[in-house]
Amino acid sequence: MKLKYILLIIFTGSLLSSFAQKYITKTGTIEIYSETPLFIIEGVNKKVASILNTETGEVVSSTLIRSFKFEEALVEEHFNENYLEAHKFPKSIFKGKITDYKKIDFSKDGKYDIMIEGKLTIHGVTNYIKEKGSLVIKNGEISAKSDFPVSLKAYGVKVEPAYKKAIKDDILLKIHFDYKPYNK
Amino acid sequence: MKKGLKIFLIIAVLGLVTGLSTVYYVFNKPHRNVEDETPSYTMDATALYSEYSNDEEASNLKFADKVIQVNGEIAELSIDGYQVSVVLNDEMEGVSCALDSVTIDNHKSVIDALKLGDKITLKGKCDGFDMIMGVVFTRCFIIE
Repeated sequence: MKLKYILLIIFTGSLLSSFAQKYITKTGTIEIYSETPLFIIEGVNKKVASILNTETGEVVSSTLIRSFKFEEALVEEHFNENYLEAHKFPKSIFKGKITDYKKIDFSKDGKYDIMIEGKLTIHGVTNYIKEKGSLVIKNGEISAKSDFPVSLKAYGVKVEPAYKKAIKDDILLKIHFDYKPYNK
Repeated sequence: MKKGLKIFLIIAVLGLVTGLSTVYYVFNKPHRNVEDETPSYTMDATALYSEYSNDEEASNLKFADKVIQVNGEIAELSIDGYQVSVVLNDEMEGVSCALDSVTIDNHKSVIDALKLGDKITLKGKCDGFDMIMGVVFTRCFIIE
């Protein structure tokens, strides 16, 4: 019950409109990538949830840090325990909107370049971000993508001096959400 | 060659081999074997969800990163290539499980036959609680 209440608050704006349209995914993916001559880090999280409100352009997405999977068990362990400190900060959340959502006609197939802005929280630190993305609407479903770097320093993620050369400060995030209409 | 030098060389080579193989082993340490691990808890998806919604922090201390066996009814299914996700009990107030690729390969026909309302038992690693997904499990294996 509490959860539904939270979701209601998020979409108060859209509740006022009887044509409110919401789209949801619970199997979004975020890939993380860092490459230096010494070390390539590749991880993927396939349990990312997101809700998009096409009436207001609002986007909410959230995921759990422990859902990131890496090829090497050791990297996964360090990622969770030493870097992202999943025991202290178990989740990452984005709350924002598609800035130029008014130009999008969600009722028919099409492709758009979009701007997304909002607050991204990782490792307990919230930063304002503004990034480019793309949106494809096909058969009533919306596929959204965005690739952008995040700075470890900006989110308070500490890298030991010994690994400074092996791990870049800018980690690339590749985000892919396939939204389906949400009728509830 | 002097005897001393020879011994020194042998020791040096042995040391190097041991060192390298340790590094190799640590680096290629296998992933936790969720399939063979005995679950820390065996419970109903509804019970797990309500523990989490009552006290997320305490539940994280108790369940997060542990292997847990849950049973429940399938409330939502999403099968897309290598991504199979099963939601137990309630679409939003339940346990959302991502299956391990090994179980997807081994139980292809079982997975294809899954349908909403089926009773299922899964074992997986508990990642925590999400406001949209509910309790999240990854590396899940189908028990029955």
